[in-house]
Amino acid sequence: MSSPIANHIPAHVPENLVFNYDYHGDPRVTNEVHASLKTIQDDAPPVFYTPKNGGHWVVSRFDEIKKVVEDYEVFSAKEMTIPRIENPPFFIPLNLDPPNNMPFRQALMPAFSPKAIKELEGKIRHWAGSIIDEALAKGNGVDFVHEIASVYPVSIFMELMGMPMDRLWEFRTLSEAFFSTNDQEKIHQLGGQIVMNMTEILEEKRAKPCDDLMSHILNIKVKGEPISLGEMQNMCFLLFLGGMDTVANVTGYAFRQLANMPELQQRLIDNPSDISKFTDEAIRMFGVISNPRIVAKDSTVFGVDFKKDDMVLCLLPISGRDERKNKNAHVFDIDRAKEEGSTLTFSSGPHMCIGSFLARAEIRILVEEWFKRVSKYEIVPGTELGFRMGFSVALTQLPLNFQKI
Amino acid sequence: MVKIIFESHDGADRTELEVDAGGSVMEAALANNIDGILADCGGSMVCGTCHAFVSPEWFTKLPPQSEMESCLLDFVPDPQDYGRLCCQLEVTEAIDGIVLRLPTQQR
Repeated sequence: MSSPIANHIPAHVPENLVFNYDYHGDPRVTNEVHASLKTIQDDAPPVFYTPKNGGHWVVSRFDEIKKVVEDYEVFSAKEMTIPRIENPPFFIPLNLDPPNNMPFRQALMPAFSPKAIKELEGKIRHWAGSIIDEALAKGNGVDFVHEIASVYPVSIFMELMGMPMDRLWEFRTLSEAFFSTNDQEKIHQLGGQIVMNMTEILEEKRAKPCDDLMSHILNIKVKGEPISLGEMQNMCFLLFLGGMDTVANVTGYAFRQLANMPELQQRLIDNPSDISKFTDEAIRMFGVISNPRIVAKDSTVFGVDFKKDDMVLCLLPISGRDERKNKNAHVFDIDRAKEEGSTLTFSSGPHMCIGSFLARAEIRILVEEWFKRVSKYEIVPGTELGFRMGFSVALTQLPLNFQKI
Repeated sequence: MVKIIFESHDGADRTELEVDAGGSVMEAALANNIDGILADCGGSMVCGTCHAFVSPEWFTKLPPQSEMESCLLDFVPDPQDYGRLCCQLEVTEAIDGIVLRLPTQQR
């Protein structure tokens, strides 16, 4: 059980900027997480302070989020746990501000670049096809989240990393548990477990290097020097969490959306080249990760006084739904103009998601393979879909009825 | 005013911009809705989705690439010679009349 965390409003926060929002479980939020968060974007000040979870700033609109995530001199990425805890998890390169993050990003580019992902397409397609086939074999009522969304990106990621595939569910469960808690003790315990597992695998790779990302990480040099085991662990920790929980969750929302749009399903079957537009639009509408930042120095931004060590939470999942940025932002429209399809689902700035190209390819290919096998589908009528909140929002199930081609 | 010309990858479409000096070519492209420039990272030089190609003549005239820029250009979907990231090009009189050929895809 989480111990209750006291509400807190520091003295420098003016009363008119206080607005209650509990990112771990706000009463306003329904399983239509993104749609229900619109009220935060529209009714709260553009930058407000919530006393919940130890007290922190919240930024929910596109322009303001973009400014925060790009301005690392004021809004540092060095600490990301809300509420703050002692010895918070440290991720590389995410928790390193520029220029220190750059050599690590550069070292990871060969694995996550558009060029690398293009070359990986065949493997991704293979995973998509076989995972969909297995799921469809279970017949109507199959849980898309459990049988496909939870398995597919994780399988690709584990193969890319060179992790043992027979431990998929163990790792998936660890990651889910990590994203579902804000309890200090649990974060440390789960983080420790993840790092320990990754270290074991790193040691195996050191003994027997393969053509995979973990073997590559063992050989990364920064300024000519090999990196330390601690740095490798912190990189693997980040990649693990990024690879386990993100695409899985976006995909769940994307397939729910599509389940409710039979005409769009038919259009994607008739015109598979439109699937990349569908992917872009799903990514705009269904971000899942929020970006925390810590204020590095007393500063006034947006006319708001921030004090050093204030925590700031950027609600990336609803950034693309800001009506001030995108016209008809709450309408799912794969034909929208590029300038009205802006999103910060992958964040922006020096810490923009390094896996964004992989993520886009995974979602597109999954939909392509799906409609090679399914002629239409719907959510099992009468289902009340479960969900969870936190730094990563997710649907916990999506049972589907489908017709095979 | 500085003239910047964006050309589609096959040369079929041309868009001429007249923009004030200051800011980056990427920012000018976004402000003018050039479809082929995405700029996912907003100019932090970590994504490569604002890349374009110039002629060898223009290439030698432009300020040199940083190591990170050249690394990103190696990893775009279809790397070619004489690529630049538009976020790293400043809009100045020195680039007046530059032609930037867009790639078939940014990602």
